[in-house]
Amino acid sequence: MNLTKHWAGTLDDYVIDLAWSPDGTQLAAASAAGPVTVFKSTDGAKLHELPGHDNGTNCLAWKPSAGATLATGGQDGKVKLWDTIAGQHTGTAELGSAWVEHLDWRPDGSILAASAGRDLVFLNADGSLRHRFKPAPKTLSAIAWQPKGGCLAAAYFGGVCLWDADDFIAQKEFVYGNGIHALVWSPDSKWLVSGNQDPSVHLWVPETDMELNMSGYEGKVKELSYDFTSRWLATGGGKDACIWDCSGNGPEGRDPAMLPHDTKICAVAFQHSHSLLASASQDGVLMLWSPERKQPLRATVKMPSAATKICWSPNDDQLAIGSEKGAVYVLKCED
Amino acid sequence: MSNDSSIPVTVLTGFLGAGKTTLLNRILTEQHGKKLAVIENEFGEVGVDNQLVIQSDEELFEMNNGCICCSVRGDLIRILGRLMKRKDKLDGILIETTGLADPGPVAQTFFTDDEMRAHFRIDGIVTVVDTKHILQHIGDSPEAQKQIAFADVLILNKTDLVSAADLDQLEKRIHKMNSAAKILRAQNADVPLDAVLNVGGFNLSRATELNPAFLEPEYPFEWAGVYPLPAGTHELVIGHGDHEHEHDEGHECTCGHDHDHAEHEHEHGHEHAEHEDHDHNGHEHHHHHGNPNELDVVVMPVKSLDEKDIATARDAAVLTFSDWENKVKDGDTLTAGGTLHRLLLKDGHGHYKLQLPHAGNYLVFEGCGEEPLHIHVAGDTVKPVWQKDFQHTHSHEDAVSSVGISESGDLDGKKLNDWISKLLKEKGADIYRMKGVLSVKGSTKRLVFQGVHMLFDAKFDREWAGAPRTNTLVFIGKNLDRAGLTESFKACLV
Repeated sequence: MNLTKHWAGTLDDYVIDLAWSPDGTQLAAASAAGPVTVFKSTDGAKLHELPGHDNGTNCLAWKPSAGATLATGGQDGKVKLWDTIAGQHTGTAELGSAWVEHLDWRPDGSILAASAGRDLVFLNADGSLRHRFKPAPKTLSAIAWQPKGGCLAAAYFGGVCLWDADDFIAQKEFVYGNGIHALVWSPDSKWLVSGNQDPSVHLWVPETDMELNMSGYEGKVKELSYDFTSRWLATGGGKDACIWDCSGNGPEGRDPAMLPHDTKICAVAFQHSHSLLASASQDGVLMLWSPERKQPLRATVKMPSAATKICWSPNDDQLAIGSEKGAVYVLKCED
Repeated sequence: MSNDSSIPVTVLTGFLGAGKTTLLNRILTEQHGKKLAVIENEFGEVGVDNQLVIQSDEELFEMNNGCICCSVRGDLIRILGRLMKRKDKLDGILIETTGLADPGPVAQTFFTDDEMRAHFRIDGIVTVVDTKHILQHIGDSPEAQKQIAFADVLILNKTDLVSAADLDQLEKRIHKMNSAAKILRAQNADVPLDAVLNVGGFNLSRATELNPAFLEPEYPFEWAGVYPLPAGTHELVIGHGDHEHEHDEGHECTCGHDHDHAEHEHEHGHEHAEHEDHDHNGHEHHHHHGNPNELDVVVMPVKSLDEKDIATARDAAVLTFSDWENKVKDGDTLTAGGTLHRLLLKDGHGHYKLQLPHAGNYLVFEGCGEEPLHIHVAGDTVKPVWQKDFQHTHSHEDAVSSVGISESGDLDGKKLNDWISKLLKEKGADIYRMKGVLSVKGSTKRLVFQGVHMLFDAKFDREWAGAPRTNTLVFIGKNLDRAGLTESFKACLV
């Protein structure tokens, strides 16, 4: 397996978020300082430099399935929508004075969920307000649409609430007595998983209210990724990428596979429809794994600074990496 | 808990209006070459341009078990987590808390969160005190007491609004509560910035800067005075003179030693206004310790008024006070030297004979400083030529106090470990700060430690080399049992 450099670009500051457009032709990268750059995925040409947000951009999210609509959230308390073909700012939703920290599109592209402080809103695709929820008990720390699109999971210190996509009522509320840093659903919508401050990962099966807590991590868990089969859950929280087997009744009683790095893991990402896992650590090392193989390590590359975010292209043949020093690398992955 | 590349964090606490914002603005203005970020509370009003100012809601992550020691500040984890995300590192972080904030969870955030530990180090907790208003808060506000107890640096601000005497009194009281903090006086938060930045309050290597002399020891006596006395048998009188005598003396207190406590005995004769004054000096609630009709006295010959000679006599008296007492009835004789005399009083009065073989200076120690003490030589009252109040072991009126322990000798590592584990388990909630330098048997290096509530860091530091191996530690907390802590610590000695 070969990882080769396809192209590299640079931002003016730390790459705080990074995502491929749904058709894979564009890569958007947000600098922590504010500007958002749209790269052409074939050669890394800068198509647009969007101004982003005053005081800094926090997050970005492409509208799924069709078109070229990018949403960004920032420290100005705003959600902005951009047309990345024209390079135009097309709409703004002002949520308040708190930072907009989390954005997630409903998989059908009909709703953009955004959180700022304790506030959660559902926006229409044009940025207009669809629904504003009552404030959460504490600052919202992660949001994630169920892959089926029926509800949005929103986490805060103390629990996770599942908000119905259509009538905006709380379908379920799961109590968790600690801080939550990340949420992920298994692609089959069976499992909802949180990465926690305590440090642990907590798994719920919302349909049956079953829950499991997997602890033993060195540090808080902020990195979570499911493989496309919904069987393997990759987690950070230490120097190993820790892989749990979620088949059947889940990972309880099973030893996880530990894929070792020399320093703390800072990102994990499974491919969309293949089984490779990319993991990155603080020392700038990026590794590719086939977790089911006896010899799981497939490739290693070292970058000058730690990765902040890693993303597979929609067809899984390219890997985009954002770095702390502002570099964006796109690697080709070839057998 | 830190490395050299970590970003220093300074926490500013204090009540609303104490002067935190003034200090903050000064730091930002004078440190203009540096890139600092300020995390201020939602009422903050920092007004310096081109600075990174973030408002926070002081969101507490309280654990299910209700243990305050496990609480951290969620807003700081979130905001600092975002502030880390920069290509160029910040030079420092300033966190301004509200007057109601508990500094414990702030400090604990930097102990327990792996990411915070890796990227930041808490440099110090600076508490700004409005000297004019603090006395209103200090008694009934656990927040104010905690902010004082947690501080590495205490700034007594607005000193121009209070009298020098009140200020001295306040400083004394605050020092009793937190004897490890540096106390600075200021009018408009005008303290040198190097006194509030880079203080190393949580730096293990600098725990060794803990000066044992700074931890003012406490004594088994409350007052001592030096009397120049001829050889012979003199009269030692406890309690007031007769009533006429007292009136003759008028306001001037010459009936014995004239320290603060003695004035108190006259309060029935003072104007109301003066009585009010006493409310501020902190001695209002003072009571006689133990049996009101007993007073422990030691008389030590002292070579001169030289500080060294007095210290020698004082240390001898400390030992004598721990000795068996020799009961002395009204009219009986007491002698100078290593005997603890327990004077038996009748309604707070007693007349005794003081027999001295040689003329010279004598240092008289009183277990309780409330009792007027007079020495008459041939009918004349002799005034003390030197006198001092001592911090008595049981004289705290504040729930928050400091217990300093300084013991030479080596510690048994296992006993020490068991002791500290048990102590933190049982008393962790009441221990706000602790730090120390310890000598553990079998190691040629000093063991340095520091902690907040139940959390602590410890490591073997540098070699003792030629330095005398001794143990110095301080606990700052609520309802601390000095004798119990000292005893149980001593039991860990080899």
